[in-house]
Amino acid sequence: MPEDGYFKEEFGISDELCHKLLSKAMSTGGDFADIYVEHSISNWLILEDGKVSKSYSDIKLGVGIRTVKDQQVGYGFTQDLTEESMLSAAATAATLVNEVGKTVDNNFKLLNQNSFYPITDSDLDVSMTTKLPLVIKVNEKCFVLSDKVIKVTAGLHDKLKRIMVVTSDGTKAEDIQPDNYLFASVTAKDGDKTERSFHNLGGRHEFSYYTPEVAEAVAEKAVSKVLNLFEAKQPPTGEMPVVLGPGITGILLHEAIGHGMEADFNRKETSTYSTMLGKQVAEPFVNIIDDATNLNQLGAINVDDEGTPGKKTMLVENGILTSYLHDKISAKYYGVEPTGNGRRESFEHFPLPRMRNTYMLGANSTVEDIIKSAKNGIYVEGVSNGQVKIGEGDFAFYVSEGRMIEDGKLTAPIKDVNIMGNGPKMLANITMAANDLLMNDGGAGMCGKGGQGVLVSFGMPTCLVKSMTVGGTDQKGGRS
Amino acid sequence: MNQELKDLCNWAIKTAKNYGATDCKAIASKRRFVKINYLDHKPETIKEATTQSLTVEVFINNKYSNQSTPDLKKSALEKFIKRAVENTHFMDDDAFRSLPDEKYYDLSLQKDLKRLDASHQSFSATERHEIAKTLEIACIKQGGDKVISVEAGCNDYYTQQVLLNSKGFEGSKEDTQYWAGASLSAQGEGDRKPQGSHWVGACIKNDLPDLDEVGKQAANNALQLIGAKKIKTEKLPIIIANRNVGRVFRGFLNACNGQSIQQQQSFLIDKKGEKIGSDLFTVIDDPFVEKGMGSRLFDHDGLSAKKSMPLEKGVLNQYYIDWYYSRKLEVEPTSAYTSNLTIPKGTKPIEELMKELGRGVLINGFIGGNSNGTTGDFSVGINGHLFDNGELAQPIAEMNIADNHLEFWKKLVAVGNDPWKYGRWNFPSLVFEDVVVSGT
Repeated sequence: MPEDGYFKEEFGISDELCHKLLSKAMSTGGDFADIYVEHSISNWLILEDGKVSKSYSDIKLGVGIRTVKDQQVGYGFTQDLTEESMLSAAATAATLVNEVGKTVDNNFKLLNQNSFYPITDSDLDVSMTTKLPLVIKVNEKCFVLSDKVIKVTAGLHDKLKRIMVVTSDGTKAEDIQPDNYLFASVTAKDGDKTERSFHNLGGRHEFSYYTPEVAEAVAEKAVSKVLNLFEAKQPPTGEMPVVLGPGITGILLHEAIGHGMEADFNRKETSTYSTMLGKQVAEPFVNIIDDATNLNQLGAINVDDEGTPGKKTMLVENGILTSYLHDKISAKYYGVEPTGNGRRESFEHFPLPRMRNTYMLGANSTVEDIIKSAKNGIYVEGVSNGQVKIGEGDFAFYVSEGRMIEDGKLTAPIKDVNIMGNGPKMLANITMAANDLLMNDGGAGMCGKGGQGVLVSFGMPTCLVKSMTVGGTDQKGGRS
Repeated sequence: MNQELKDLCNWAIKTAKNYGATDCKAIASKRRFVKINYLDHKPETIKEATTQSLTVEVFINNKYSNQSTPDLKKSALEKFIKRAVENTHFMDDDAFRSLPDEKYYDLSLQKDLKRLDASHQSFSATERHEIAKTLEIACIKQGGDKVISVEAGCNDYYTQQVLLNSKGFEGSKEDTQYWAGASLSAQGEGDRKPQGSHWVGACIKNDLPDLDEVGKQAANNALQLIGAKKIKTEKLPIIIANRNVGRVFRGFLNACNGQSIQQQQSFLIDKKGEKIGSDLFTVIDDPFVEKGMGSRLFDHDGLSAKKSMPLEKGVLNQYYIDWYYSRKLEVEPTSAYTSNLTIPKGTKPIEELMKELGRGVLINGFIGGNSNGTTGDFSVGINGHLFDNGELAQPIAEMNIADNHLEFWKKLVAVGNDPWKYGRWNFPSLVFEDVVVSGT
């Protein structure tokens, strides 16, 4: 939610002070400088063994000041919001350069922003009495759903992150970025087998999103997942067709192409995609987007962390690699407009090109035809733990939920397998997609890079990748 | 003990009690750090800051909450603590929530763990730049005509922390850490640009290894990935190189913690005292190693540190249980987390182990994957080398290993003589037999 004046009112960080700080940061001749101020409050409420007995809160408050010269970055930050301390941080940033200083205009223009995660005044301070019934409901529902459930941990996370960005080119932006999720971790026992599942729903929502119905949905999915695991087995190992179900499987795009398209890796020529821009990398029906504008999605941002408005970027259009994901540094290097991907974990970090919500548009195949075409392989529904090696394009993700495909039909549930692939090869191997794009509805999507975590989301239609490596323990058949 | 931080903790505890807390724990810390990174023979990034925080754990009888803030102005803290106490009232009574009994604090335990480098105060910007330059030059030289780009850098930290609680525990830490390393992107086959890196850490600057060697090793780690490809799925012996052993062991360790055990989410429930690994699976946890990166005199609960052997000749001796879960489980607490871990080293280098095995896979890195703490199943991507006739034969990528921890550690058949020295976990290379390595 865009706003104006919070940091001046609460912490005395006025335009005049920002001008002083930016002047100090530019005093040695950088190309540009910016100030990033953050005040965030995170809360966790945890129920375990039937008792709401854990409550955690964490406050982040600080200012980061960056000086940029070509592709070099000087960065200082402080948690002490006195003028003296902030000027010292600006001086630290300025040590990067040793040239003639540049002047900074004292006229900051407030950015006209969209609102991709509207919140109300009541969301600014949600009481414990509003939160408590939600976790209690999740817990109770889990036990009602199955007598195999033996332990439940239910929890609620809510965070409000207020930021202000002021730049030496005269841009100023303020924003309130909520993120929140309600979760259940369920352990169940069936005979001598024990299994555990986790499910959450969330995003950048108003608190009114969390109704008793949402609490029940969290419990229902978590219990259904854990009960499925008792029937699940590990699939045979080796190369085979993989059908990605709609939704969170978009993590595959995030790993297989998204990271490789972050422009810092390409300007350093360390990405496998650094020579592929403008080339056909996939079938013409493949369109992949990184998007800040999806309402309430976890990767939505009204403004990025260096003052560029949130927008939509086509990575692959009709199968052709179209654009990298830029921050200001790479945009200047390539002579293009920033795409609004300059993001950071907190004031303790300078921004890097990062993804937002990454997804593929649907195409015209039917789900039934896709599964039939796979013939023998696996169908992936739930995934986690994606990782990629940028230079090689090799990636991996972990399948927590899925099914075997045998003779063109979905059969037994599967679990606990890692899937390996190579980004460019995988893109070329997407041979079918259905028209059922689904965005992930979870609220705990975190992407790590350079020691920083930022919130992201994914989306995917059902699609067929004709071959990937499925890692397991059995060379011939499945293992229960 | 830093008097300013001690005073802050005492004030926070007193303030919390004034607002109605029956007990309170306070942790105050300050950290100064500098990070320098080089690219193309000039600084790519320079980052420097001091951070601070106060964490307050509030108990109102058996109600509990935990809050932290970086805003240490007394006026802001007063409101922060008042709210913390107010929020605690909303929690359910939990009979297991309390500060640890005094008998678990050994205030007489005083030992200089030598984790503070007295020379850190005079560690200059020029020295930092020289370290980064040395690493970069060595890495570029070793990479030769395969170099696409090299990044090199060093980070250093000076940390002070004080922990006090209302039952009389007082503890403090003051230490330094240095990290140095490089990464190289190499021109591989086609569009592949394999990247390798090598980073080392130490509490004392002079304990860092030769920087030329670190730079060279980073280059070698990239060069050895050139030409990597998938091979046929096969059951083979594997050697996990020393610095990568921790990745697999962490999956095992996660099942050892008190919460996993008490919440019945661990494949190690009821396994204490049982043999779950081969005779070579011995792990020693020693918090008193001088200059050890994991050394400590007390943990977050204030529990006094103790040397232990969580695994001895394959027998599980100990879980990692903090005060809260020890009460829920009705057992003695150990600690929630490890200190310095070692696996006793063997006598042979990797080269000799390969010769003895003949054919197998040497794993130099992992990618993605997961370890299911409830069932023990794990599956993780790998890169490294196929070796044949005892010699490196083919770099491999896009491959995977999978197993179950309760079977995997029984397959540990040899231990290298090369413990990793530059972190909290000092494991040598380990050899496992009969592991399915998945490829084509």
